[in-house]
Amino acid sequence: MARLNVALHVRYIQSLGENKDDLMYHLTAHLRMNAIYWGLTALCVMNHKDALDREEMIEFVMSCWDDHAGAFGAHPGHDGHVHSTLSAIQILAIHGALDRLDVPRIVKFLLSLQQPSGVFAGDAFGEIDTRFLYCAVSALSLLGQLDKLDIEKTVGYIQRCRNFDGGFGAVAGAESHAAQVFVCTATLAILDRLDEIDYETLAWWLAERQLPNGGLNGRPEKLEDVCYSFWVLSSLSILNKLTWIDADKLVEFILSSQDPDNGGIADRPGDQPDVFHTVFGVAGLSLLGYPELDDVDPVYCMPASLIEKMGLRKGWQALPRKKAE
Amino acid sequence: MHGVKRVRYSKEALEARRQRDQARLKEYLALTEQTLVKKEQNDWSQEAFDLTTRLLHLCPEFYTIWKYRRNIMLDGIFPRSSPLEINELLSEELSLTTASLKLHPKVYVIWTHRRWCLENVPDGPSETDPNGWRSAYWNKELYVVEKMLDADARNFHAWNYRRYVLASMPIKRPEQNELAYTTRKIEANFSNFSAWHQRSKVLTSLWEAGKVDPHASREEEFELVRNAMYTDPADQSVWIYHRWLVSRGDDSETLHREIASIQELLDEQPDSKWCMESLVFYKRILLRNQASNIIDAEREVLITQCLRLLDMLQTIDPNRRHRYEDHAAEVKKLGDVT
Repeated sequence: MARLNVALHVRYIQSLGENKDDLMYHLTAHLRMNAIYWGLTALCVMNHKDALDREEMIEFVMSCWDDHAGAFGAHPGHDGHVHSTLSAIQILAIHGALDRLDVPRIVKFLLSLQQPSGVFAGDAFGEIDTRFLYCAVSALSLLGQLDKLDIEKTVGYIQRCRNFDGGFGAVAGAESHAAQVFVCTATLAILDRLDEIDYETLAWWLAERQLPNGGLNGRPEKLEDVCYSFWVLSSLSILNKLTWIDADKLVEFILSSQDPDNGGIADRPGDQPDVFHTVFGVAGLSLLGYPELDDVDPVYCMPASLIEKMGLRKGWQALPRKKAE
Repeated sequence: MHGVKRVRYSKEALEARRQRDQARLKEYLALTEQTLVKKEQNDWSQEAFDLTTRLLHLCPEFYTIWKYRRNIMLDGIFPRSSPLEINELLSEELSLTTASLKLHPKVYVIWTHRRWCLENVPDGPSETDPNGWRSAYWNKELYVVEKMLDADARNFHAWNYRRYVLASMPIKRPEQNELAYTTRKIEANFSNFSAWHQRSKVLTSLWEAGKVDPHASREEEFELVRNAMYTDPADQSVWIYHRWLVSRGDDSETLHREIASIQELLDEQPDSKWCMESLVFYKRILLRNQASNIIDAEREVLITQCLRLLDMLQTIDPNRRHRYEDHAAEVKKLGDVT
């Protein structure tokens, strides 16, 4: 049975920022803030938080502040956006540096994104999506500013996104997709409104994401992908139905998606790894009780101990942590 | 990254690629710097616009540059253009996004840009026909999105866009047309969950608006689903849809009929997980909701049947055995009540 090669993955994450010569590195600048949050969270779960320099990271985050918008962009010079703003807040929270933030301005930005329908846009140009709704609610929650949110309006929109299969889509009318199920379920958890969920139907739909090869897909008849190890798993964890899938087979699937030479985890065995699949693979393993990993909070996808310290823990359940062999 | 195979490059191959990329990288970084500097200076010139065209071709996910491009149009080009010129420019923008979407059908920001273009079409071609240009674009959009769905029937960006177009068209298509579209998609492939999902939305809307008789319509749906079930009992889309159909009514007659129909299918396909699973679910509904109406003997039979099915399910669908265990425990409790 394969094992998680922590040392190799730590080196992989450390190497990501080093290759400034790499064209792909620069072509993904629009994801940089997110990528740093993904890398940092993976390191935390693997108990190697200090593998990346704290000061450098905080400095980079602050250099992405878009003063026009009152928000963070993905990279210096990039426009403020709700997704990169959440990632920035998450990074600073993990590093105990939330005091660096202009909270009133950020709150103003976040609240300005809410549309009359209750959904949130990503920025002033208005692409709407429940992902952005989650980003805004999670960000407000981490900043201790949830009281500024119109909760009824927000929950009202999520209700309209609920589908015939118990799941949720990107916008009202959209097909259920595991990532959208995660953002809606996690938002409802933050807002203490899990009563909006048809537990049995949704848990059923989620459990059916497990394929014979042990991996999880995001929708019926689609391919397995390691990132669904988090989207599906965290949702099941919030619904306290994690036992409804086969944990051992999923662990095996995630482990076989590791790159044994260069480290990192890919979307499925044999594919190119990236930091996105690395964090969600590792977070999934943590929820499944894989030994020697730190607990991850499925609602925030951040270290569970930190979320608990911030007074934000909700009633989710992970599998008990196994002892190392 | 998704679906990219890992390739073991030799050190030499990696170095060669890095050298080749150096020139591209230098050009890309220079172009990015030049464009972002102009953005900071609020440069709304044609030259700036052309820079964004080049940059977006190299990196279509660069959201900041799409935004800059839109701002250049709004603050620079539009104010100095006639409605006809604006319309022509937006027509070119739509062509650009069509070409881009063919290469990158799942990039959110390209779809967003397309919507923005449509929403900014000016009144025209004349004062007496202010919606002429708009109507022409909206009609074409339905055609464009149909092509995208022909290429990939599960592309949720395209389905979301389709719903957006249908809702935004100045002259709305009748919903029955959309029902017919979903029928076509489903008949082409029963496991097109996206089409079943769309169908659930269209029907709900038609039922709530009283545009079709819900009872007759639901019966037609059961017919359609039964056909699909028998054709491919392993396809989950159909079973998920069936469960929704059943939940839309509360008459035990339909429930009994559907149970009988699925039992018939199970007799032909004794290993069908979906048949077994659905039978358990519907029998549990009978046990829970109709508890006062069924006699003790029938209760006992239902409970025994459920437990037997759940036992078999644990063997044929072992991934989800704990769920079946949970249901068995619940069913046993229902037996203990009497």
